[in-house]
Amino acid sequence: MTKFVVRRLVWTVPVILLVILMTFVMMRLIKGNPFRTSERAIPAEIQQNLERKFKLDRPWYVQYANYVKGVATFDLGPSLVLRNRDVNDIVKEHFPKSLELGALSFLFAFVFGIPLGVLAALRANSPLDYGSMFFSNVGFAVPSFLVATLLIYVFSLKLDVGFPTSGWDSWESKVLPTIALGLGPMAYFARLVRGTMLETLQQDYIRTAKAKGLRWGRVITLHVLRNSLIPVVTAAGPILGFLITGSFVIEQIFAIPGIGRYYVTAVTSRDYSVVMGLTVLLSVIVIFANLIVDILYGILDPRTRDART
Amino acid sequence: MRTSTGWRWLAILLAGLALVAAGCGGSDDEAAVDETTATDTTGTAGGGQAAEQEITVNWGAEPPSLDPGLASDTTSGNILLNIMDPLVKLGDDLEPVPSLAESWETSEDGKTVTFKLRDDGKWTNGDPVIAKDFEYSWKRTVSPELAADYAYQFYGIVGAQEYNGCKKQCDALRDKMGVKAVDKTTLQVKLTTAQPWFVQQAAHHSFLAVHRPTVEKYKAKWTEAKNIVTNGPFKLQRWEHNANIDIVKNEKWRDADSVTLTRVNGRIITDGTTAVQAFEAGEIDVNPNLPTEEIPTIKETPEYAQYTGLGTYYYGVNVKNITDVNQRRAMSLAINRREIIDNVAQADQLPTTGFTPKGMPGFETLNPDSPWQPENGDLEQAKQLMAKAKNPKKTITLLLNDSPGHREIAVAIQAAWKQLGLTVKIKQQEWAQFLEFIGPPPDKSVDVYRLGWIGDYVDAINFLELWTCKSGNNSTNYCDKSYDALVEKARRTEDNDARYELYGQLEQKLGGQDGAMPILPIYWYTYTEQERSTIKDTYERNLLDQVDLTKVEVEEES
Repeated sequence: MTKFVVRRLVWTVPVILLVILMTFVMMRLIKGNPFRTSERAIPAEIQQNLERKFKLDRPWYVQYANYVKGVATFDLGPSLVLRNRDVNDIVKEHFPKSLELGALSFLFAFVFGIPLGVLAALRANSPLDYGSMFFSNVGFAVPSFLVATLLIYVFSLKLDVGFPTSGWDSWESKVLPTIALGLGPMAYFARLVRGTMLETLQQDYIRTAKAKGLRWGRVITLHVLRNSLIPVVTAAGPILGFLITGSFVIEQIFAIPGIGRYYVTAVTSRDYSVVMGLTVLLSVIVIFANLIVDILYGILDPRTRDART
Repeated sequence: MRTSTGWRWLAILLAGLALVAAGCGGSDDEAAVDETTATDTTGTAGGGQAAEQEITVNWGAEPPSLDPGLASDTTSGNILLNIMDPLVKLGDDLEPVPSLAESWETSEDGKTVTFKLRDDGKWTNGDPVIAKDFEYSWKRTVSPELAADYAYQFYGIVGAQEYNGCKKQCDALRDKMGVKAVDKTTLQVKLTTAQPWFVQQAAHHSFLAVHRPTVEKYKAKWTEAKNIVTNGPFKLQRWEHNANIDIVKNEKWRDADSVTLTRVNGRIITDGTTAVQAFEAGEIDVNPNLPTEEIPTIKETPEYAQYTGLGTYYYGVNVKNITDVNQRRAMSLAINRREIIDNVAQADQLPTTGFTPKGMPGFETLNPDSPWQPENGDLEQAKQLMAKAKNPKKTITLLLNDSPGHREIAVAIQAAWKQLGLTVKIKQQEWAQFLEFIGPPPDKSVDVYRLGWIGDYVDAINFLELWTCKSGNNSTNYCDKSYDALVEKARRTEDNDARYELYGQLEQKLGGQDGAMPILPIYWYTYTEQERSTIKDTYERNLLDQVDLTKVEVEEES
């Protein structure tokens, strides 16, 4: 196991170098001047000053080397557009908010999605099953921005229950965004758990467990649920990554000062250093989320452990 | 046991679903929404001053910088002009009025402007504000090291452009720049030519002073709330990036008695729909971000406010592709500006009759009342002119950026031009790429492009110099030496009336009877906003989109 983890960690280095290179090349390939933010043309003198200041007047390989050096020393450089801020500041200030939103939504999805799936499977083809699956179908199909808008309309404008329309400070302000972002993954978990549970319930070893006279509750938790969770864990890694990195729309709608908004605006304004910095950060997150999933696999299913060491 | 807990969860979820469904039913009934919001907020102000002088505004966007030297957008400018003390402010008619400078003098030849500063200006750390602060700040903004976007605002000052573009011996060039603190309260500025608009220009946020010890101590981080030292009527209390910017009254400001507001909480809500909802929920008192599609509804509410802006929305024509002036005139005539404003843009913008917008000093004299821009269009005449055009370009590529609203206007114009026998291909690009495409020079494939121009300062030169041959903002390929000569002449003309006459001649060359029509102006901008009725009387936006918070008072709700 340790060998496996170490090998995976070593592999992240070339992966990140490649990510930097690809982002670097792609950002240079799309046209656009990071310093021209409005329709106003920039006089030649000022353009030169800016390029000199941000070292964009050097050859591309020097820029790339400088950047890699920066990443290695955890210095992601200054933003080209937000002139008083470094990418490090942006990450330090805004990433925790996205992380919190992602984690809360994930928790919401997990805590509600799995029991919902379990219930549906145990009462398969009952009104309960149909009801919960209808609910999760809707949750899965309706895009998060629509859910968000509806939640704000109902809970902030129609019913005066104390949830503000936007912001990210009090706990009340965190409820609606968490639900809006977590509803889709929740529905996904529920469907996944239901499907695999139904399959597991048909297995011989379940019949054996029942025949042995084990308590039904114990059979469900120990045998059925544990074996049904493997696909959920597989899906959970990418979903967690997505929740942390892909919450741009929700951050925009609820005016949450998270990192997702910076990512999107940085691409449109050609803020090279912010795009690069955030891409590296998000790649690291996805790599680690997958690594954790692989480790969890080993715990849940010893067979996979042996195959990899 | 486990299942019964499960049931409870399910019950909670279903209850949630039911609530959401109930919400869906209600949303069909638009009128119901208006009613509730109206009862919440329509209370008209009662006249008396409210006990609590505190408001919450939506600033609209995260200011990219609160360094006067680096800020280049209206949000930053607006906050800066309230936390700093400018030399001059703009009066109701946009004339310069004293602020930190109690008076100023312009020399006989118009090339030297001397500001006399008040002696009671103070930085928030207690230091006096002196002329040297301005000298330092202006030179700092022009310095190549700071690489400020708006350094060009200072190019009218002797030696500024040379210093900004210098590569070696920069210190010597800095010392030669024509701004000098003669003594503590006297600031002398030497200009390259007489620039009658210079004093007005000094009201721009680029010309604010910064506190040298603070800037040198904290470097790029000096603008953070915990470091910043300012000298205006309000102080920056909190700046949580992309979330909140709160400012509070500066009790030690030289004229603090005249300021009523004690606190302005600022939210940063960029999404229009969210901002409108926050306003309706009573979380904010001012919201400048209105989505176009909601303006017709909001317009019916008493909180709707609208201001004329100093900006022009126009289509530029690549005259190398569309060579015949008759075709350009026909294309302009075919546009029904009134219909576009009423049905598409919807914010009561003003139909253009020239390029320089209404509200600009001298407008009555300089406006050409262009015969090619009738408010309701003139399709018949357009067709006749089109028939006269030699080598007309029948297939037209129209380039737009992909912000909301532009496509809808383009589609209306596409339909109008179709009646002239023109096939219009609308091409939309995201902003940065779009700017690369239009140049100047524009990409060969571009026949017509959309853009807007918003004035930095209040003189028509700021608009008309765009169409000179070498202008970095002229993507039309229009180049007329006699136009350039007139611009130069206007720059040197100190007398306002005489200068407005020259501006009139320039407007004639663009859109007059014999005008070349390199641009097809469509409308002049308006700014729309939601304002709580308790502040609506005193919360005002000027032509340059600035709000002077020292004038705002919260009235009691009646």
